[in-house]
Amino acid sequence: MFENRAVGLALTLPAAIFAAALFLVPVGILLSEAFRIDGSWSIGAYIDFFSSARNRTVFLRTLKLGAFVAGVSAIVGYAAAFVIVSLPPTSRGRIFGLVTLPLMISPVARTYAWLVILGRTGFVNQILVNLGITDTPFRILFSETAVFIGLLQLFMPLMIISLVSAMENMPKDAVPAARILGANWFQVFWRVILALTREGLVIGGTLVFTGSMTAYITPAILGGSKVLMLETLLYQRVTVANDFVSASVIAMILIVMSFSANLLLKRIATARKSR
Amino acid sequence: MNSRVATWLILGVTLTFLIGPFLIIIAASLSAGNSLAFPPQGLSLKWFIKVFEIESFRASFGVSMFLAIFGTFTALVLGIPASYAMTRYKVPGAEAVRLIVSSPIIVPGIIVGLALLRYLVIPTGFGIGPALFLAHTALVLPYAVRVVSASMENLRVDMEEAALLLGCSRFGAFVRVVLPNIRGGILAAFILGFVTSFNQVPVSLFLSGPGLRTLPIDMMAYMEINYDPSVAALSSLLAFMSIGIIFAAEKFLGLSKYV
Amino acid sequence: MLKKIMLTSAATMLLTSGAFAQDKTLTISVYSFSQDAFKELVYGPFEEICDCKIVVETGNSIERLAKIEANKANPVIDMAVLSTHDALGAARKGLLQPIDASALSNYDKLYDIAKDPLGDMLGVGYTFYATSIVYRTDKVTVDSWADLLSPELAGNVALPDVSTNQGPPSLYMIGKAMGDTSTDLTASIAAVGENADDIVTFYVRSSQLAQLMQQEEIWAAPVGRFAWGRFKDNGLPMAWATPKEGQTGGMNVMVMTANNGNEELAHKFMDFWLSTEIQTALAEALVDSPANSEVVVSDEVAANLTYGAETVGQLDLLSPDTILDKRESWLDQWNTKVVK
Repeated sequence: MFENRAVGLALTLPAAIFAAALFLVPVGILLSEAFRIDGSWSIGAYIDFFSSARNRTVFLRTLKLGAFVAGVSAIVGYAAAFVIVSLPPTSRGRIFGLVTLPLMISPVARTYAWLVILGRTGFVNQILVNLGITDTPFRILFSETAVFIGLLQLFMPLMIISLVSAMENMPKDAVPAARILGANWFQVFWRVILALTREGLVIGGTLVFTGSMTAYITPAILGGSKVLMLETLLYQRVTVANDFVSASVIAMILIVMSFSANLLLKRIATARKSR
Repeated sequence: MNSRVATWLILGVTLTFLIGPFLIIIAASLSAGNSLAFPPQGLSLKWFIKVFEIESFRASFGVSMFLAIFGTFTALVLGIPASYAMTRYKVPGAEAVRLIVSSPIIVPGIIVGLALLRYLVIPTGFGIGPALFLAHTALVLPYAVRVVSASMENLRVDMEEAALLLGCSRFGAFVRVVLPNIRGGILAAFILGFVTSFNQVPVSLFLSGPGLRTLPIDMMAYMEINYDPSVAALSSLLAFMSIGIIFAAEKFLGLSKYV
Repeated sequence: MLKKIMLTSAATMLLTSGAFAQDKTLTISVYSFSQDAFKELVYGPFEEICDCKIVVETGNSIERLAKIEANKANPVIDMAVLSTHDALGAARKGLLQPIDASALSNYDKLYDIAKDPLGDMLGVGYTFYATSIVYRTDKVTVDSWADLLSPELAGNVALPDVSTNQGPPSLYMIGKAMGDTSTDLTASIAAVGENADDIVTFYVRSSQLAQLMQQEEIWAAPVGRFAWGRFKDNGLPMAWATPKEGQTGGMNVMVMTANNGNEELAHKFMDFWLSTEIQTALAEALVDSPANSEVVVSDEVAANLTYGAETVGQLDLLSPDTILDKRESWLDQWNTKVVK
């Protein structure tokens, strides 16, 4: 450590000023706008927003999809992470690489693929029709199911990565020891694996939840105007109705939810450390 | 159940779900037919050729490349000194600085774009292009600071102190000792920033104007009108570009050490 | 390092001002339809004779209008094409300035209803279109607007969102088919609301429909005639319905943004677009139906267009004032009954 504070400050200031001036200030004004009606402070805009049945539906749908995607990611993620960690190092590296690969591919491309797969004439329906399971192809696109599938594929890698690194830090003999002591697999998972990987689960869960909630491309392409989520509603309010107040309200909701998820993560993580 | 079978079953299903769509896109882009379909109707490379003939793709590719390269570069120019100071000096309010610098990661991109449009571009007459550039720089800044800080922390301070004792100026020690030792971290930050910026959509949604669009936005607009495999071809090309960069970085630098 | 920063900022400036570096630039705001054809038939030829550069912004009218309003103090767009009611809305907000008819040598050739549809010369019509229903002839027959909500089309139809240009006219015709000709649209919005689950999507841009039709997600949708070209050759058996209630439609106008400082060039461009030669070329390419009365096209071409003042006279149109004044109430009804 060097002692000269002035130099330290001089080196950090450009980045801090840049982020504050170009980022915090405009975003701050945008958020404060939803608290001001005719020049005075008010929460009227929020009451108006939530008094609309459509807005409530969109809000709840966003929460629900975020929670579902995080939940299913966790279930699949545990199975996948457990298997990946038990592999020999070389193949573990390769499989891990394949899991992270989708994160590097443009979300537009990844979402676009689902159009080909889930459409009426898409891959899934072709298989179902050819197998004689159904005569009329299923309608999957423009439904919550389609958005759910798209989001799950988009964000599950984040969960797997978090869980794999958490499991790698787990003592190697924890699971065999518990088995020898007579625990069944359910007990092993609940008392040992879950307890020792809780931090990873919380990090992964937060990433997946906030990611799903603030995704734009997936609901825009796979959901359309019938399956609006907060982010697509925000875009529509601005471009179709020039309604900046609702946009600010939605922005505030999204930020509050992201921050809450983040705070939750920090609290749980520190609570564990201090014990 | 045999545990080997269970292992490969779980892996197989998960990987099919994660990678399968991407393989289908590649297959669909090789189609000789005129509409996007899987399995493809015949094989041809014509949609890959068509991608290069679409003028708006060329223009928006240029815009996205410029933003990704120079936005990340600018973020590093701002981020490296900040990371250095935060790991080597007692900076008053270091926590606050860290929070401010990493805030762009927490706030959804669409809000950043909207805020810049409303409170920078419209009232001050600031151009949409520069605003887009600044937004992408801000977006990449948290990654730059985080990754560079991590590799700075791994570097022992005594190497630098030794250089100082041997008569190097502090700046000289930074340039001769610190920079060469963290260049892997800087490159990792650059690649991560590049990929993040290049694939970014929400930030750019509101920050597009006449003749100025990023590639992902342009792709979304194109596929709305044309349901042909050219977007699939372009998606495949971009994916291979990303994979190529990551693969090279991993092979030569061990990128995963820094991320 | 400093040198690199300088280089970077210089490059940024180049990127962002490159388009504006040429002496003469005309920035126009247009619909995203048929841009390849417009480039070839209108923008390209004009750039050659004017020695200027045309910068094009595309999108639906509301989106583009929002941007014009946002940049009111410092207009980016010089000239825009909008629907009559959006143009009227822009005019009421003071975003437009009158067009100088004397600067348009082709003005007198226009059909009378295109000459000054907004009043005060705030807009000049350049094309008309009919709105009816495109449908798959192998799946259904459509001869009434009420068929959109019929059981045969349940789960296979897309409707325009109420906020689009095609939305209110389509709802008006659905109402008419139900025996309600009021422009309050109460009956038709309620009917759409009841059937909301059977409607695949409420589209915001008609460009989206081509994709939905090819994917076989939908079999029918109300659309403007200007989009017909995208459907008729898509390899599927498609037809343009002639419903017994008649067809609706609209007119698009050219407008001049207020205080853009580029009036001379914008007038030249408008005049060029309205000329018999260009209007004929656009008609023959089936891009836009002509507003210039001197345009003569073959019967075959005419059959694919909304050609001639008589045809336009038969369309059942909502007036721009009605649309503008009732829009809020339609949106409210829509949000409570349809989007729930």
